[in-house]
Amino acid sequence: MNQKEKRLNKRGIILMENVIFIVLNILFISILALFIYKQGNGAIVLEQSYAKNIALLIDSAKPVSELRLNMEDAMDLAEKNGVDREQVVKIENNIITVKLNKDSGYQYSFFNDVDATAYPDIFPNKNYIIKINGYK
Amino acid sequence: MKLNKGGDKMLSVYWFAILIIAAGAVFAMVYIFYNSPYDIREIEAELLINQIADCVSYAGRFRTDLVYEGKFSEDFKNNILKECHLNFKSSEWESEQYYVELNFYKVEELSNPPFKMSMGNSNWKAYCAIQEDKEEKKLAKCVEKSFYSLDYADNQYIVKILASVGKGEKNVKM
Repeated sequence: MNQKEKRLNKRGIILMENVIFIVLNILFISILALFIYKQGNGAIVLEQSYAKNIALLIDSAKPVSELRLNMEDAMDLAEKNGVDREQVVKIENNIITVKLNKDSGYQYSFFNDVDATAYPDIFPNKNYIIKINGYK
Repeated sequence: MKLNKGGDKMLSVYWFAILIIAAGAVFAMVYIFYNSPYDIREIEAELLINQIADCVSYAGRFRTDLVYEGKFSEDFKNNILKECHLNFKSSEWESEQYYVELNFYKVEELSNPPFKMSMGNSNWKAYCAIQEDKEEKKLAKCVEKSFYSLDYADNQYIVKILASVGKGEKNVKM
């Protein structure tokens, strides 16, 4: 191997090391970003967030009113997990249940003594309608 | 040149060590953040106070079935939950998770309220006294607000409303 070939070979090794180093860094940052995204958009977090949001909406509402809630992220997740659109939000007595996974769900209660119902909107179909019909 | 190459390798090792430490910190922070429930008790307590204030007074005057000719109604006091459309009972909890206390003060005498009423689970009131100096997240959340109102005989009152919300298990990591 002459001098020129040796130099070329060495440059090849240095380039390869750098490429591996950069690829590993990118991989590492991607995993980190994915983890943060997954944590923030997980069923457990969204269920809790929407159940509490709806409870506060009902507590601050007066009859007769209709509240439209954009639940796009939750509806997409429910669809992905095989949960029926009608089953996502349930209001029974004064307890709200939000279900985005077949074997999970989150409940939260409200103090406003109203007759409230929840059903998915027809269009846009990622919305949910919370209807406050009247005082009990 | 050999020394330099060794230095490069060492730098990579340190670089990955730093990345792992940074990742560990991010994982820990994210885990702690998303594993702690959202605490909405303060907003709940404020909404509860608003609902009661709207219920006892409208457009700056007390309801006539609450105060009539300078006298407060005991009937209203006994049925305040029904009158104000409140339901503190829930199958989600064994005991009531709310407590509300109303004190009606005459403007001339702010030390001794001539009329008081309360509703809900009085056990939560004790936690408000404990937290006067320092707030403890794991205890009940207390909010106090006051407003000015007149009765129909133009007597002036200050109403102080204290609301306390339990629901610790659903709002704080125990």
